[in-house]
Amino acid sequence: MASVHFRDVRKSFGATEILHGVSLDIADGEFVVLVGPSGCGKSTLLRMLAGLEEVTRGEIAIDDRVVNEVDSKDRDIAMVFQSYALYPHMTVRENMGFSLRLRKAERAIVDERVGRAAQILNLQAYLERYPRELSGGQRQRVAMGRAIVRDPKVFLFDEPLSNLDAKLRVAMRAEIKALHQRLKTTTVYVTHDQVEAMTMADRIAVMNEGRIEQLGEPLALYDRPANLFVAEFIGSPAMNLLDARLRRSDGAAWVELAGARWALAAGAPGADGQQVKVGVRPEHLRLGAEGLAGEVVVVEPTGAGTELVVQCDGASLTVVVHGRSGARPGDRVLLAPGPDHVHLFDASSGARL
Amino acid sequence: MSWKKAGTEARLLLVGIPVALWSAFPIYHIFLFAISSKDSAFSGALWPAQPTLRNFGAVFKQEHFFLYHFWQQMWNSLWIAATVGFLTLLIATCAAFAISRLRVRGGRLVMNAALFTYFIPAAFLAVPMYKAMSVYGLLNSSWSLVLAMVTLASPYAIWVLKQASDKLPWELDEAARIDGATPMQLFRLVYLPLMLPSLVAIGTYALLLAWNEYLYAFLLLSKETNVTLAVALGHFLSADDSPWELLMATGLLYGLPPAAIYYVFRRYMVGGLTAGAVKA
Repeated sequence: MASVHFRDVRKSFGATEILHGVSLDIADGEFVVLVGPSGCGKSTLLRMLAGLEEVTRGEIAIDDRVVNEVDSKDRDIAMVFQSYALYPHMTVRENMGFSLRLRKAERAIVDERVGRAAQILNLQAYLERYPRELSGGQRQRVAMGRAIVRDPKVFLFDEPLSNLDAKLRVAMRAEIKALHQRLKTTTVYVTHDQVEAMTMADRIAVMNEGRIEQLGEPLALYDRPANLFVAEFIGSPAMNLLDARLRRSDGAAWVELAGARWALAAGAPGADGQQVKVGVRPEHLRLGAEGLAGEVVVVEPTGAGTELVVQCDGASLTVVVHGRSGARPGDRVLLAPGPDHVHLFDASSGARL
Repeated sequence: MSWKKAGTEARLLLVGIPVALWSAFPIYHIFLFAISSKDSAFSGALWPAQPTLRNFGAVFKQEHFFLYHFWQQMWNSLWIAATVGFLTLLIATCAAFAISRLRVRGGRLVMNAALFTYFIPAAFLAVPMYKAMSVYGLLNSSWSLVLAMVTLASPYAIWVLKQASDKLPWELDEAARIDGATPMQLFRLVYLPLMLPSLVAIGTYALLLAWNEYLYAFLLLSKETNVTLAVALGHFLSADDSPWELLMATGLLYGLPPAAIYYVFRRYMVGGLTAGAVKA
């Protein structure tokens, strides 16, 4: 059990700086997900916490102890790799007990801890098998078992579900989350999949180009993205973004776009005449009697809802309708959001207004 | 079986049978001499009129001038080959681990140097090696041949093992480091077991290289009790009237250990040697 602190952490490979001063405090027992596109530096940050990459500048601390110069093995962390990194020549039992064996733990203790981890992960039947004799999901669980047996201060996960098929990924997602709720070990989890981040995290750090764009609880990020990057990255299907001009007059505020106007909530920020990016989540767009005119291009029923792609004056908007929709390709429709569900971003900086 | 398949099979046999005969014939020739009596050895028959095992008896009991030290020479060959295999393996494994997994400085230089020595034929170095061994006062000691062969075998061994090491996933090292392994524990508990097929292949390679060596053995060792069996076989031809049947019987015995080793380790040989042969 421990807290983790990144203080203005920087990382350079040669002359190229790839992490530009990341600060992040993770509380004891918290499940934090680092999410971002490939190359954003999330894995590097995790590997620096693991002691697999050196810290160029800044400080990483576990509890109150700065670990910049501490060996991986003395940091009391456990890591689950994307490739699982199971030792191919050892049985499941040996794989899970390896770290204890290196610490010269007594045989009885090793057996007991491995047994308990195997029970938690439902691996009792596979203890004498070799990794090559296991399915992908079982290997994944062995990798987690190896981490659990250590009883570390911090769990690190580096894209642990990327090698699994879609169905198994959903199942393992739930398993990891249940495991965290049971063990309450501080966890740092890296993924490029925002659905994984949304469903598993206590807090998400969205990263891009070596910086944290926004840090917060999943729904906070969803409801109030701090900038265009987070707005586009979080949520599936992605948020619709349109160029528009902000207008206000007599206490009312609205945006003008392609000849239509969308009303804004009374307290909407921004100045009259300001050039903005308007963001609306697909489920907040309604087909109605007024609004932005467009033509339905694609209708995708998902069962629970219907996804429409609507072509509006060059822009392509996604609309999610709850339940069945009578719309057909070729239909002319008018689109408008509820006034409380419009996100405004500065057109040049991309920051939320 | 379809006609097309049968045709392919027939063509393969058409090539395979002559090649098999071609390769087997010299061995058969040796065998034929070895079981013939002295008078009938050159009769030209495909099978001797009275096959005999007496030649092998003569070899085992060291009953000829050229065979007085047969067992000693066999032992020399075995000892030298085994020592060369062991030392080459020790050096090459440590070098490959340090260069590939610990990424020590200068690793590239060592690899390039190893590759460079490929281009120098062993025969080219025979005289300088002789000179060096005489300076160290090692001539006529089996260590001179051991050291020379280890020197010749190591570059290739390092090269192949380094290439094979590079194929091991890097995450295994990282997982082991996080699990708390020191570099030595990583080497012993993770690296060596995973490298086993390549190690067997390279150990065998070095062992057989030393077992088969003639030129260096001939140059560096000269006492009858010191030379290897390969050199002793050469001595047979120094007489005007060579005992061919004994030479062939001894030769057959000399060929058995490598054949046995190949047979035992055949599973590793192909995979292990090609594993590092091509840069992936």
